[in-house]
Amino acid sequence: MKFTRKTLFVALFILILLPSGCIRESLMTKDDPVHIEVIVKNRVAPFFSVVKMGADAAGKELGISVHFDGPTDEKEIDEQINIVRKAIESKADAIVLAACDYERLVDVVHEAIAEKIPVITIDSGLNSKKVKSFIGTDNIDAGRKLGQALVDKVGDKCKIVVMGFIKEAASCIEREKGLFEALNTYRDVEVLDVLYCNSDIDLAEQLTLEAMEKYPDLDAIVGLNAQGTTGAARAIIKQKKVNIVKIIGFDNTSEEIRYMEKDVIQSLVVQNPFSMGYLGVKYAYDAINNVKVPEIVDTGLTVIDKENMYNTENQKLVFPFTDDYDDYDY
Amino acid sequence: MLLAMLIVSISLYHLFSESAEKSAALSTQQIVDQVGLNLNSYIEDMMEISDIIRSSLKSDIYQKDDLPYILNVTKKLRKDIATVVVYSQRGNVIISNPRGVYNKNYEVTQQDWFITLLNNPVDYIFLSPHVQRIFEDSHPWVVSLCRASAYYENGKPVVFITVVDMNFRTIEKMCNNVSLGKRGYIYIIDKYGNMVYHPQQQMIYAGLKTENTMDALTREPGTYFEDFDGERRIMTIKNVSYSGWRIVGISYVDELVTNRKHFNRFIMFISIFGVIFEMMASMFISYKISQPVKRLENKMKRLENGDFNISVEEKGEDEVRQLSRTFNMMVGKIKMLMDQIITEQEEKRKSELKALQAQINPHFLYNTLDSIIWMNENQNYEGVTVMVSALSKLFRISLSKGQEVISIADELEHARSYLTIQKMRYKDKYDYFIDIEPGLESERTLKLILQPIVENAIYHGIGPLNEKGIIRISVKSEGDNILFQVTDNGYGIKPEILKNLLSQESTSYHSGGVGLKNVNERIKLFYGEEYGIEILSEVDVGTTVNIRIPRKPFQEGR
Repeated sequence: MKFTRKTLFVALFILILLPSGCIRESLMTKDDPVHIEVIVKNRVAPFFSVVKMGADAAGKELGISVHFDGPTDEKEIDEQINIVRKAIESKADAIVLAACDYERLVDVVHEAIAEKIPVITIDSGLNSKKVKSFIGTDNIDAGRKLGQALVDKVGDKCKIVVMGFIKEAASCIEREKGLFEALNTYRDVEVLDVLYCNSDIDLAEQLTLEAMEKYPDLDAIVGLNAQGTTGAARAIIKQKKVNIVKIIGFDNTSEEIRYMEKDVIQSLVVQNPFSMGYLGVKYAYDAINNVKVPEIVDTGLTVIDKENMYNTENQKLVFPFTDDYDDYDY
Repeated sequence: MLLAMLIVSISLYHLFSESAEKSAALSTQQIVDQVGLNLNSYIEDMMEISDIIRSSLKSDIYQKDDLPYILNVTKKLRKDIATVVVYSQRGNVIISNPRGVYNKNYEVTQQDWFITLLNNPVDYIFLSPHVQRIFEDSHPWVVSLCRASAYYENGKPVVFITVVDMNFRTIEKMCNNVSLGKRGYIYIIDKYGNMVYHPQQQMIYAGLKTENTMDALTREPGTYFEDFDGERRIMTIKNVSYSGWRIVGISYVDELVTNRKHFNRFIMFISIFGVIFEMMASMFISYKISQPVKRLENKMKRLENGDFNISVEEKGEDEVRQLSRTFNMMVGKIKMLMDQIITEQEEKRKSELKALQAQINPHFLYNTLDSIIWMNENQNYEGVTVMVSALSKLFRISLSKGQEVISIADELEHARSYLTIQKMRYKDKYDYFIDIEPGLESERTLKLILQPIVENAIYHGIGPLNEKGIIRISVKSEGDNILFQVTDNGYGIKPEILKNLLSQESTSYHSGGVGLKNVNERIKLFYGEEYGIEILSEVDVGTTVNIRIPRKPFQEGR
């Protein structure tokens, strides 16, 4: 009996020593250096600077560090692969990726996942089931909306040219698909050509000029992305065919907005890049902490035109708070 | 003690929380007040600028041509002014700074505020953040102050509307730099609850975040504690002059109350620590107290089972030590008593043994047999018969079939037999008389108590006497006692010898004899200390020996 008592005594004594260690530990503030890499297709594109805004907002809210990177051109696929590899080497806690190429980024992404770095894709998807989530626009729906806007603004009987961007890009493929799906029901909409501008505004402009020559009775151009839309608009202005050849376009750069106000572009399908950046980082953080994230998140689309772009709701979407719009000096 | 510990911990925690929360609320309030001051002066500046413009249009001092210059200077001084525009009541731009290509799609006369200013002139209208559409190619987010004024030209009022558009950036900077903990922030709402500024404005517009703007709008300015989105936070509301705006400061209690989580954990550990310590202490105390008691208990159990060779260590607290000591004393005493009993029993046996020996005294036997032989040779056949029968009676009663207690009659008979034999041997040296109070014959007495007395009387009393001796034995009752008296008129006993007679071995008197001492001891052992022998003697007169025993009813054995 005495023996058992003594052991209990000693055990309790040891037990006291344990918490004192824990007390000291808990009193020391621990800094949580979670680091997330956001790698986009084109880090200087206006669309992705809004993505950056969203990513930064999430970073501030969660108190974590967010680094934004990407090639300066969507076509620099190898450059993007390198950037992803660098992120793996720097032991990023998670990667948020807008892939330049649906297939070619898969290997390096799988490398990251093998290193226990969760990957969230935004805007442009990847041919892999191992990514934790895809956050972005339903591009097929985007295509459909483009088709619908075309019929609304130009009519159900017209001749059009489709200005795609990168033939192999998933977003391009899907928007095309959606567009043709929508146009299927309009037998009298004739697609004269499908061009690919490689996301180069100048090339888009060039191709548009050529198309206008080639197809003198062209009614409208449907731009599947910002660069295509912008190039087409510039060409139409050059040829003084504003409102004669109409444009249904994509995204809302300041240039596109200006063109819309001037009737160069009739309708724009606008995405929600802020949400993409924000949710991308937020779900990446969840993935790090082994919290379940939704597999697909649709960030939504809005179709705007000259009339509705200034109403309270659309204003917020169309004119995000970036430096782009602060031009006072003339 | 556990309860006390818990209560102390909990109240400490609450105390700390409360005071920390209070100080957090206070610092939030102060910061919001400061921002409020800044914002107030900012808006007042706007009003002032607008006043300058109005008065310059109205007054005679300034020419209208001065206005562009004034506007230029003003704009340069205040970088946060996006545009200043003065409209005619028809919507034409009288003047603007900066100048630019006006957006043809923008019809100012169709704007609600324009219409309101013209028709129901309020002093001013503040427009919440919106995208400025005045110019082509420029779409900044601005906040507008719109006022209507009139000047008189040729006696007729000319109404003009001034619009000062303020770059949102300044407000943003003013509010962004506010530090309310890591996550705390300030936002501004207009009088309709629309968001003028919020650090996460885009998120709110994108529907990714909500604020409880209704609460901010409807509550009176002040500081409130609230729970929002599962977190405890402090909301401080302050009104901004002129604009009808409200500044709302949000800070998170958890952050401002430094390391609240850590503190919680700390308190928890302290509590656990305290509990464990307290358990140890109480164990220790109970050990110190209960151990000695347990030991005592154990020893007592052993005592119960008959083991008297025990003692308890006198350790522990005072009360316990006292208990132990008393216990030891008690055990000692019991042991002593038991030893005493054993000794007494031994003594008894020894005495009885001696008495037994005396019953068959060889000396007496062969002396008596000698006498019988001698009498026989002298043909004193009568004497032989008497002596033989006396001897046989003597030994028969001595043995008494092993009984210790016999009737007084028998005891007297025994004494008589002895006296008879001795008288015959000593040739009538003495006479003897025996009398007994009637009724006492059948009373019981320890056997062989008279004969040794008589023996003494014969040898030491009568023996040396020159005249005829007289020995008298009497038995009478004395209260509850029976008194045997053996009186002789012999030599007597010297006082100094008398003193020691019953205390030492009477070997000096009679070797191998039973002696007075033995009889006395036997009586005392058998009946008790208050009974026994009393010797009264006077030299040259005689001796009386009193033997007292209790008068008890007959008991089988004893």
